[in-house]
Amino acid sequence: MVGGVVILILFALPFFLAQFGKSGEFWIWVTTEMIIMALFATSLNLVLGYGGMVSFGHAAFFGVGAYTVALLMKKAGVNMVLALMAAPCMAALAAAVVGWFCVRLIGLYFAILTLAFGQLLYMIVFQWYTFTGGDDGIHGIPKPEFLGPVNYYLLCLIIFIVCFLLMRMIVNSSFGLSIRIIRENLDRAKFIGINVRRYQLVNFIVAGFFAGVAGGLFTELNRFAQTEFLHWSRSGDAIFACLVGGMYSFVGPTIGSSVLIFLHIFLQQIHQSLVEIWAIFLGLILLGVVLFAPEGLVGLYEKLTGKAKVD
Amino acid sequence: MSPEFFLFILINGLSQGMVLFIVASGLSLVFGVLRVINFAHGSLYMIGAFLAFSLSTLLPSGSLWSFIVLMILVPPAVALIGLGLEIPLFRRIYDKEHLLQLLLTYALLLILDDACRLIWGGDIRNVARPEILAGSIEFLGLFLPTYNVFILVVGPMIALGIWFLLHRTRTGNLIRAAVSHPEMVGALGVNVSRVMTGTFMLGCWLAGLGGVLMSALANIDLGIGMEKIIECFAVVVIGGLGSIGGALLSSVILGVGVSLIQLPLSRFAIVFPYFAMALILIIRPWGLFGKPER
Amino acid sequence: MIEMTNDRMKTKHFILTIKDLVKSFNGNTVISDVNLSIPEGELSAIIGPNGAGKTTLFNLITGYHLPSRGTIYFEDKSIAGMQPFDIVRLGIARSFQITNIFPKLSVLENVVATVITHQKGNLNFVTPTTKLKSVYDRAYQILKDVGLADRPHRQSGTLAHGNQKILDIALALAMEPKLLLLDEPTAGMSPEERWRTVDLVQRLWEKLKITMLFIEHDMDIVFGISQKVRVLCYGTMLAEGTPKEISKNEKVIEAYLGEEVD
Repeated sequence: MVGGVVILILFALPFFLAQFGKSGEFWIWVTTEMIIMALFATSLNLVLGYGGMVSFGHAAFFGVGAYTVALLMKKAGVNMVLALMAAPCMAALAAAVVGWFCVRLIGLYFAILTLAFGQLLYMIVFQWYTFTGGDDGIHGIPKPEFLGPVNYYLLCLIIFIVCFLLMRMIVNSSFGLSIRIIRENLDRAKFIGINVRRYQLVNFIVAGFFAGVAGGLFTELNRFAQTEFLHWSRSGDAIFACLVGGMYSFVGPTIGSSVLIFLHIFLQQIHQSLVEIWAIFLGLILLGVVLFAPEGLVGLYEKLTGKAKVD
Repeated sequence: MSPEFFLFILINGLSQGMVLFIVASGLSLVFGVLRVINFAHGSLYMIGAFLAFSLSTLLPSGSLWSFIVLMILVPPAVALIGLGLEIPLFRRIYDKEHLLQLLLTYALLLILDDACRLIWGGDIRNVARPEILAGSIEFLGLFLPTYNVFILVVGPMIALGIWFLLHRTRTGNLIRAAVSHPEMVGALGVNVSRVMTGTFMLGCWLAGLGGVLMSALANIDLGIGMEKIIECFAVVVIGGLGSIGGALLSSVILGVGVSLIQLPLSRFAIVFPYFAMALILIIRPWGLFGKPER
Repeated sequence: MIEMTNDRMKTKHFILTIKDLVKSFNGNTVISDVNLSIPEGELSAIIGPNGAGKTTLFNLITGYHLPSRGTIYFEDKSIAGMQPFDIVRLGIARSFQITNIFPKLSVLENVVATVITHQKGNLNFVTPTTKLKSVYDRAYQILKDVGLADRPHRQSGTLAHGNQKILDIALALAMEPKLLLLDEPTAGMSPEERWRTVDLVQRLWEKLKITMLFIEHDMDIVFGISQKVRVLCYGTMLAEGTPKEISKNEKVIEAYLGEEVD
């Protein structure tokens, strides 16, 4: 199975990279970030690709997870395991509150309201200097000694795989099917007896939960949390990842996210100044994908290899 | 708190509300006819503001004529940029699903916002008010900034202008017909595509005008595009889609609300639009002037 | 005479009772003072010229629109103002004039999703849908009943129009309704498909013994299978009776049948 081979490679990767000293360490850090961001993007896709709802505020839940870990570990001295478990719970709570308001609307109203709430949370974190450190963020978050680059990578990989499988299970379950039919035809879904708002809210909360896991892991990776984690551009990154990789497949967001991170680093390596125009570059890619390949890389692959696309 | 101060805050809020109305009506118009929400509408507004700034550096500062030139040249320039976006991009997505439309205009937002950053840099800018509008005028014994009063005059004039255009001209009738019965308009031999392009350009013109007016009202920076599109949305959500009257009322409410909250809770004034949106969604999800969906 | 009527009424249980129903949109009154009572188990038709408000009536019954005035009782329970998904759970299902299915999903998945919903299994986060044997068996049975069992995995959006309409009916059936509303079930079909659908409707009615109400324009079908016909014109109930009575009713002939002389 392709999946099995990929997983084996992923497990072996850090050991291989560790041979290359400082440069290797950098790439281990990059691939750890890729894993975390793939988790983030996949969580968004529950709402975006499967739910058919564009959420521009998903970074807020990433950020809530991140700051939960930061605050618990730095200010309350909680150990890492508990903090990493609390992060998704807080994120799910935030998603419940935000989602309750947002699912009262559909389509583009929903999108803008998620953007507004995302900005709202960003602003709150930004302004609440005494609690969150405002613009400075929270630094110097403790990290257990034994979790060096390789070991932390492996921890993230294991958590990612567990979350990936959990989310895939949810997507293939009756709940997942209900979400997909709401996407296909919202009115008809009502007419077969589905309380559409309730299901969309539950889906939104689940997505927020897993975004919180990613946020917590990210904070530990970098040992700091910043307001920038909640910025709408982070939400945008996740949306691109899903779109470029393929919104309608489960593994699409992972592919898209990794490709985009790789491109970003790659450009950085080629010439520092290219990073200046990264946003424009990204916007152009998104434009291209929307116009010419809305099913993303996975969609292109399936077209090329002639696989029929049935949901 | 003195009555002068209170009035000053009120006038400031009202004029901000007017500018918001001008921009939001552009967005509303585009949505009504093209059924596409242009996320990048705020970016076009920002471009209008920055273009006004750049152009103002080339013209004698403080002169009334300079300002008039800005008001005449910049909005059409933004409309032209809009045309440049409509033909290759927007036309392709009119028939696509809403999800993709949203994502496309979001991509545009990113590109345009970053292009602004590259062209104009991160500094805060503004345009000097023309001398004749720079002072204050007396009103019932209190002094009000002239420029704000100017906007309070221009705003309703624009509103009337839009109303007149939509309800008393042939073009306007075509636009309104296109909103309710697009197929019929096409069947009558009207070039529907031209109506759509024209409306889109009008929407951009309004965004550009808002930008020009704002550039002399307050400081402008790279964040105003994002801010404005969210505020425009608050206007549409609160006022109800399809209602110019609702848009006017909610723009005023938002403008004044943000201004007033500056007093006790300045740090959180900026969250007022979101708060108002949430409130409306609980009480009256279809907005103040909209119609219930069932 | 009065006694006889009372006796007859005692043995009939009305599954749907609508009194003085009015619906206006922006000042346009689309439905005005409609009264109807449908006895349990009846197979009846609603006819009327285009724009008479027939689909609006269905929309009002199923909760898609809010009545402006009037009451709707389903099995002695007031349903006016309830949400569609709650009304559906009480036992009313409908098919649509313009096909309203889940296009990207397969034919089978369309029905499976409906069966799962009917069985209230939507909040199952764990079991893959493919492993729900009883659900799949029921879905296959429904597809067999309507004649769509030969192409279960085809993307439903790619089905021929006529088959999409039949799938629409299948979805309504999957909800095991007590009252089935069919909105122009044969619209857009070829003559052959039409009679197949009519045959299906009649077979289902005989087998399942549920109350059926359908909107139709084809008079042959209406007079062929319905026990009762109600005529809606400009939002008001013009006449009500057996097909024979209706075909002789002067008001109806004038308003409607006059355009379609057989």
